Amino acid sequence: MLDNVLHAAILATTPILLAALGGLINRQAGIVNIGLEAMMLSGALAALIAAHVSGSWEVGLLAAAVAGLISAAPLSILVTRFGANEIVAGLGLNVLIAGLIGYLLSDFYGVSGTLRLMPVPTLPRIDLPFIAGVPVLGAILSGKDVLTWAAWILVPLTALLLTRTRIGLRLRACGSSPATANSVGLSVPNLRDGATLAAGALAGLGGAALSLGLVGLFSEGLTGGRGFIALAAFYFGRNRPWPTAFACILFGFFDAAQIRLQGGGLPPELVQVLPYAVVILALTLASWRRRRGPSPEP
Amino acid sequence: MLKPVLIAGAAALALSATGAAFAQDPVALVIAQGGLGDQSYNDLAHQGFMAATEETGVEGRVLESRDVVAQGEQILRRAAESDFGLVVDLEYAHGEVMEAVAPDYPDTEFVVLNQVREGDNITSVLFSEHEGSYLAGALAAMVTTNTDIPGINEDANIGVIGGTRSVGIDKFLVGFVQGAREINPDVQVQVAYANTFGDPATGQQMAEAMFENGADIVYQVAGGTGLGVIQAAEAAGHYAIGVDTDQDGLAPGHVLTSMIKRVDVAVADVVEAYAGGSLEGGQVRNYSLADNGVGLSEMIHTRDLLPADYLARIDELRDGIIAGDIVVVNVIEDGYPDFFQ
Repeated sequence: MLDNVLHAAILATTPILLAALGGLINRQAGIVNIGLEAMMLSGALAALIAAHVSGSWEVGLLAAAVAGLISAAPLSILVTRFGANEIVAGLGLNVLIAGLIGYLLSDFYGVSGTLRLMPVPTLPRIDLPFIAGVPVLGAILSGKDVLTWAAWILVPLTALLLTRTRIGLRLRACGSSPATANSVGLSVPNLRDGATLAAGALAGLGGAALSLGLVGLFSEGLTGGRGFIALAAFYFGRNRPWPTAFACILFGFFDAAQIRLQGGGLPPELVQVLPYAVVILALTLASWRRRRGPSPEP
Repeated sequence: MLKPVLIAGAAALALSATGAAFAQDPVALVIAQGGLGDQSYNDLAHQGFMAATEETGVEGRVLESRDVVAQGEQILRRAAESDFGLVVDLEYAHGEVMEAVAPDYPDTEFVVLNQVREGDNITSVLFSEHEGSYLAGALAAMVTTNTDIPGINEDANIGVIGGTRSVGIDKFLVGFVQGAREINPDVQVQVAYANTFGDPATGQQMAEAMFENGADIVYQVAGGTGLGVIQAAEAAGHYAIGVDTDQDGLAPGHVLTSMIKRVDVAVADVVEAYAGGSLEGGQVRNYSLADNGVGLSEMIHTRDLLPADYLARIDELRDGIIAGDIVVVNVIEDGYPDFFQ
């Protein structure tokens, strides 16, 4: 039972974690990215179509990253060059992309809502020979797809990027004090554009984790608000990679548990809110702790 | 003036010049959310609509709207004012609005699906989904212990996933459970609700959880969410049961059967009755097993996997329901039975 929950939780966490890592880089550079949902959705669609046409999931992943990046571009330009409000622009992007995708689906594929393409190469799952049989550890490590591995490897890499590299420090300077960054000769708009495009690419891959990694089809509701869960995750993690990843896995775990708790006598409506309730509780605790204790950096 | 006696059907149309001048007015079909191309409910209804308008020669038009749920009142009023004699509305959310609008247009006939609405010019169309689901449950209960069939374990364990927890959905679920228990009183049926009709990833995870728990057949009553259930069945080498339309081809060999609702037949019937002048408002038309309004798919991909006596048993149960020997619980009318709380 626990093994099943862990296995499912980790797979379900991947899309959220990828988007959240993108979002936190973006946030560190000073932009709150509300458009993650849209970037995930376009990545999910591009991944499915490209993988189907090319017959290769690698091409699908590439297309997902590119599609996420392209959909992030207008958001970034509006915010950094034209001074648009990031919340309004992000929400606008979500509406725009959802509408565009609806149009694409009906115009090119003659379907509304759901796109199934056959055959489509889904992400292979990597079974680890000896570890697979070990309880708990096997469930955590074995049978995961490449994006899941990539997402978790990116957690320490993102931490390193932000704290130990020149580009990371510059990004954070843009976020914490754009005027100072500007005065020492950094181009704040350029750095922020870079961060938003990176967020787009990562969120696009998160979308691919849904369409190619989990389900093997696309639907307009495929992301189902996961972009916003990612947003909550990096807020909870205060834009730091490890706490953000913890928030993601927390949600993934309770979501997987929720599915298995149904039928246990509790009303399903109550069980279903569990993962959201946990996230809200965690967010509240985090902000409470922040007010109380000395603030750790960064 | 004497009204000529009209027989429903195309032949009667040519004679209807005296009795029912309104029968010449065009007919409209309001498309529900999801839109045309959904390969499901809307498309199926549209097929029946086109076939019937072609056959009867009545002019038919399709009304689509980007925001169909919120614009219910405008759509219905505009349709009635544009001289449509019959407005068939596929959108479930328009039921209440229709009740309010219909009295203002006594010369227009309205048709609403999957619910009963009051009004002298409103025809309500219902389907006996519980009966079709009963057959699906019975078949699943027979198959779930037959390990000769690939992807089946020995446990008498099956599952069903509903879109939301509501009587409209539980009508399917209760029928399914009752049918399964008819075959095997000890069968374990896992029941879960996705709380969404549009999230296949959730459907996929829920089905996987049921497979882990020993199920090998999962019935999906969850629209787009259910596509994830079918996907999970294919990936795990188990079985899903489709709903509304024939979904057997979505994952050939991994959709055991589909519980089909013949929305096309219902819509065509209504249009033909209208064209023939025999459509009387204020009535409820029910489509059940008896008139092929609901039923199981042809199972073209899975039929060969099943022993012949299974299909014979399904036919037997079907006849029993039609004859009234077997009474399937309809939660909307009868309330919840003891075995499903």
